[in-house]
Amino acid sequence: MRFTQLNPFAVTVYYVCILAVTMFSMNPFLLCIALVTSVLSAVLTHTANRKNHLFSLAVFVVAAALNPIFVHKGLTVLFYFNGNPVTLEATLYGLSAAMMLTSALYRLRDLSKALTSDKVLYLFGRFSPKLALLLSMTLRFVSLLRVRWRRIQDSQKALGLYDDGNLIDAVRGRARVLSILITWTLENGIVTAESMESRGYNSGRRTSYAVYRVHAADVLFILVCLSLTALTAAGIWQSKAVYYPEFDMRLFSPWGLAGAAAFTLLSVLPLIINIKEAIRWRLLLSKT
Amino acid sequence: MIAIKSPRLRTFLRYAIPFVLIPAAVALSALIFDGQRYLIISLGIAVLALLLFMTGFEHRNIGSRRMVITAIMTALAVFGRFIPLFKPITAICVMTAVYLGAEAGFLCGALSVLISNIYFGQGPWTPFQMLGFGLIGLFAGYLSKVLLRHKWLMILYGALAGIAYSFIMDIWTVLWYAGGFDWKLYLSATVSAIPFTALYAVSNVIFLLLLQKPVGNKLRRIKIKYGV
Repeated sequence: MRFTQLNPFAVTVYYVCILAVTMFSMNPFLLCIALVTSVLSAVLTHTANRKNHLFSLAVFVVAAALNPIFVHKGLTVLFYFNGNPVTLEATLYGLSAAMMLTSALYRLRDLSKALTSDKVLYLFGRFSPKLALLLSMTLRFVSLLRVRWRRIQDSQKALGLYDDGNLIDAVRGRARVLSILITWTLENGIVTAESMESRGYNSGRRTSYAVYRVHAADVLFILVCLSLTALTAAGIWQSKAVYYPEFDMRLFSPWGLAGAAAFTLLSVLPLIINIKEAIRWRLLLSKT
Repeated sequence: MIAIKSPRLRTFLRYAIPFVLIPAAVALSALIFDGQRYLIISLGIAVLALLLFMTGFEHRNIGSRRMVITAIMTALAVFGRFIPLFKPITAICVMTAVYLGAEAGFLCGALSVLISNIYFGQGPWTPFQMLGFGLIGLFAGYLSKVLLRHKWLMILYGALAGIAYSFIMDIWTVLWYAGGFDWKLYLSATVSAIPFTALYAVSNVIFLLLLQKPVGNKLRRIKIKYGV
């Protein structure tokens, strides 16, 4: 079973755990692990293209540079910039914040790839089925409106009724397209409502198209996630990083190391699952 | 769509939800939760807005039709948010509220914020925006008789709604920045937001002028033909 084939609830628990640790600990050691593993998983699972990587790099550089330029707290002065002291502590804090931001960005992008819209609706459906229906209907109408806008515009162009030449014509043409679009979609909406009623909408519990059962593997995965997160939290608690006025972190306490190890394992958990699956697939292929 | 049968419960919910429950939820998200759990609060507000919507009709069939039409108007508002600078959300909420009822207006406002923020970025500001646009729709619905009789009043309402929305969002800015409310900060925030306030008001006026007649005619036609 690949990571994205786990129950959507398990996937959500995983990302909540990892984002919580990433966003609420300012421990530079853990953040370094978070950054490296999030980039690694983005590269290995192809969830980011070159543009995304460049954007993340820009975010990292800007976030790391802003803090030492504007914050002058800290005891160790590295050099003077425009007459203001640039301190080691502020630089370290900026680097940590940048690592946090960048890895959270990577993880959020992974999350949006792993939880597709049908899975999100499946999760929301537990919360309030009516709201889930309304949200999915509206989201569907947004993309439907876009498609229909294009279609009406093309037909208007083909009829020779659409001119982009000057501003007034362009606005009038768009207003006509909008008017047609609204008439079409509203009338269509009534048909949708009638069809919903006659097919028995609201006459029973709503079922979803995709069925996600909870397997033993999902439960095991959630338990492993939660226990690793608890261990990491204990580690963070024991080796808290203090930045100002002087940087201080008891990194090499046993708890701190255990927390770091647990967090590393948590970060690469999806990769381990996927690699295990790939190996199994190869073995099956070689046997036949 | 379920219809709420008891008229007394309907009347109670109609006023309790927009003026007590949802503002309480927004205040909760700003103060107690420290702006962290905004997504859960936003979803809670959306559920409450849906409940409010259900107080607006007595028959199931009308409810389903009105829900689909509201979903389409919401989608139009989201679609319109891709236009640079000038946003038609208020204009579309006002039109929805005036023709489909105050409750539909609230739902349209709150949902279009929730959904368009999927594209534009969710954040601790989402509950505040939902309340702001929801109230704009709600009051337009309350005033629908007057607004329909005098078209220029609808345009004036749009302009005033833009200013009021900016003031509501400034409350959020102050709460977020200072961690508590402070009149001096609030005043300076409103002054520094004047360009945005003007932009909101102007774009509301422009879109109401553009949409009032064509969209109004279509909604009225649907209303007469199908009894939405």
